[in-house]
Amino acid sequence: MFELDPGEDITLIVDVVQRFASDILSQQYRDFEADKAIPEAVLKSYSALGLSAMELPETLGGAGLGSRAKCAVLEELGYGDPGAALALDGIGPALYAIAELGGDSALENTILPRLDNPAARIALIWDDGKPQKLHSLQRSGDQYNGTAPWLPCTDADLLIILDKQGASLIDSGFTFTPLKGSGLRAAGAAEVVLQQALIVERWDNPAAAARSLAKWQLYIAALLVGVSRVAADTSREYAMERVAFGKPIAHHQALAFLIVDMRTAVDSSRLLVQDAACRADAGQSFEEAAATAFVEALESALFVTPNALQIFGGQGFMQDLPLEKYMREARTLGLLAGGIDLAKEIAGQALCSIDATVELSALALAE
Amino acid sequence: MDFAMDSATQERIEKLNELGREHMRPLGIEADQLGRPTPPDHPYFEKLVGMGYGRTRYKGRKGESDSAKKSSDTTQAKRMGRSRASLLLSEQMSYWDRGVAVSAPGPGLGEGAIMSMGTEEQKERYLSPFIKLDKPRWGAFAMTEPAAGSDVASIQTRAIKDGDNWVLIGNKSFSGNSSRSDFILVWATVDPSLGRGGHRAFLVERGMPGLQDFHIEKKMGLKAYESTSFRLEECRVPSENLLGGEAYYESRAGFKGAMATFNATRPLIAAMAVGIGRSALDESLAFARDNQILDDPRIRDRLERVTRKLRAARLLCLKAAWLADHQRPNIVEASMSKAVAPTAAFEATSLGMELLGMVGGRGDHLIEKLFRDVKAMDIVEGTGQIQRVVMARQLVGLPHG
Repeated sequence: MFELDPGEDITLIVDVVQRFASDILSQQYRDFEADKAIPEAVLKSYSALGLSAMELPETLGGAGLGSRAKCAVLEELGYGDPGAALALDGIGPALYAIAELGGDSALENTILPRLDNPAARIALIWDDGKPQKLHSLQRSGDQYNGTAPWLPCTDADLLIILDKQGASLIDSGFTFTPLKGSGLRAAGAAEVVLQQALIVERWDNPAAAARSLAKWQLYIAALLVGVSRVAADTSREYAMERVAFGKPIAHHQALAFLIVDMRTAVDSSRLLVQDAACRADAGQSFEEAAATAFVEALESALFVTPNALQIFGGQGFMQDLPLEKYMREARTLGLLAGGIDLAKEIAGQALCSIDATVELSALALAE
Repeated sequence: MDFAMDSATQERIEKLNELGREHMRPLGIEADQLGRPTPPDHPYFEKLVGMGYGRTRYKGRKGESDSAKKSSDTTQAKRMGRSRASLLLSEQMSYWDRGVAVSAPGPGLGEGAIMSMGTEEQKERYLSPFIKLDKPRWGAFAMTEPAAGSDVASIQTRAIKDGDNWVLIGNKSFSGNSSRSDFILVWATVDPSLGRGGHRAFLVERGMPGLQDFHIEKKMGLKAYESTSFRLEECRVPSENLLGGEAYYESRAGFKGAMATFNATRPLIAAMAVGIGRSALDESLAFARDNQILDDPRIRDRLERVTRKLRAARLLCLKAAWLADHQRPNIVEASMSKAVAPTAAFEATSLGMELLGMVGGRGDHLIEKLFRDVKAMDIVEGTGQIQRVVMARQLVGLPHG
């Protein structure tokens, strides 16, 4: 039966991360943005929470926690500062490509040596297979050439380039050039140029590539839910205090309805993320559910964050408050993991490939 | 957080699918074509009663004292999933035909109020015939009036005390199954200026003098069940038919104290909308596949959106029901599900019409019927606007009135 209770383990972890996010991330986000980096001390205190190996299997010294737990953590970090979340979790979603495609030996070779180093970075890049685009990547033989126009990091010592067929591992032949960045500046921003970059390992397995992408989408979706939630909370509280035309602006029905619709958008996307994560943890097919969660989380964030700013009026546009940042973070998070059209395509294709009688659709209750 | 159902619910849904395929959907289409509700003497209702449908939660006086003796552990465990299980069943019934689902025999919408407010005598008199039905029987509920819909506080039907009787005067509208019901739970006011504080509920039995002028409305959709208006023309009701008895109202200043902190009905209605939407989605997918239009990415994108919105709506329903199952406050979540599901389902039916193209204009496709059926879901049990008002009261302290 439908079980919403995440259980004691996850609840405890969430409490800890919540405190970290509100005590540190929510306080220092402007400094992070200005520095385009997270201070050493913050990296260390996050590292001390012991979450870097939470998803690694226990046989490899990890905590063996699943997607549900990871999404809960990411939501809280996203609530605090999603750019910082990307910087703190330096291996990040690259873990999925390595685990799904490379297996345990790849995890041992690439992840384990980096676990104790909070500054280690593995960049995950999506290759959409469209070399006609001006900024694009081309794989020919055992080499990659071309440009990844933006990555939310300053540097990395390893690149994983994921495509529909599989993934390529690259450890040299690329240069990072810093950029100003639009959102997620706390993580840094850079362009990456690859020149005859040697593919040191190539894994071909479309099904595993699809799962890697799905977990990446889920990762971003969880951060998006956090951003939406903080934007909705902040603007709701403000709307109850700010008085205009003789009453709190939240008591004008146009805003009251908007505020409840914002909360609804947050809850909807959050449930879809949790649902997809539970499917992944149960070993079921979850690719469509993850793509769906990504689309909903992004659409919700793009509804909630601009409206949260709107509720603050002119103040929302100013950088004294975080509202404008929420909007930039939401928009740029949604560019990652292949973007929204890819996710829609995956979910739409899955829907169209249901080969069954009418009453056995994707949403059928009893099978 | 999967939909893994317990085996009992799974079994009931499989049985329901058989019933739906063989009876509910054909009956719904028939009623739609004939433009009238399924008559009360239709053999389908006998069949339902034979299958055990239409029974009350009320266990009878004896049964109740039995269950009270049971250890709280086992009853608690059994009760855990009740809201969720009935939610999934409601969704599936509406998948086959929401109109036919509502036409089913049973004590009706008043059951909850009788269970929570009624005296032991009232429960026994009005609910015990539904413990095991000897024949198709219905109960009905009448709140809405020509001049009071969402604004329930301003109902005008008057209740005037006259010796040992109450005299009811007024008009009721859109009351489901009421012309075929053994009893109707009628809401009236002793003083319109008191708002909800003046409300009283009465068990009005079929045949009581003054209960008259039943008129079955012509609707856009959901034709299989009757939505009926009637008049209370100085209808005399014995004082023992006042729901809960005098003492109930004296102790709580009317209904103000009766508002529960959790609500299991709104998610149920929302789930019915999800059922209609799923039905439209499946028909749309089948039509699109047969007509080879699924390779158009624009069409896939729109189907993706509709599926996603229905999926989110169902999760919101389940969350609200899950909270109710755990006796936790769910006012916001219940209203949220009810605010969201009908529009998601409407969108599914409307997209279906667009995929049908000119075929949709013919008026003989199931999707076209669903398009007409679904609109009511955003109106019954509190409109989408009322749900937002309810949520806003909780979330931003929106003042009443």
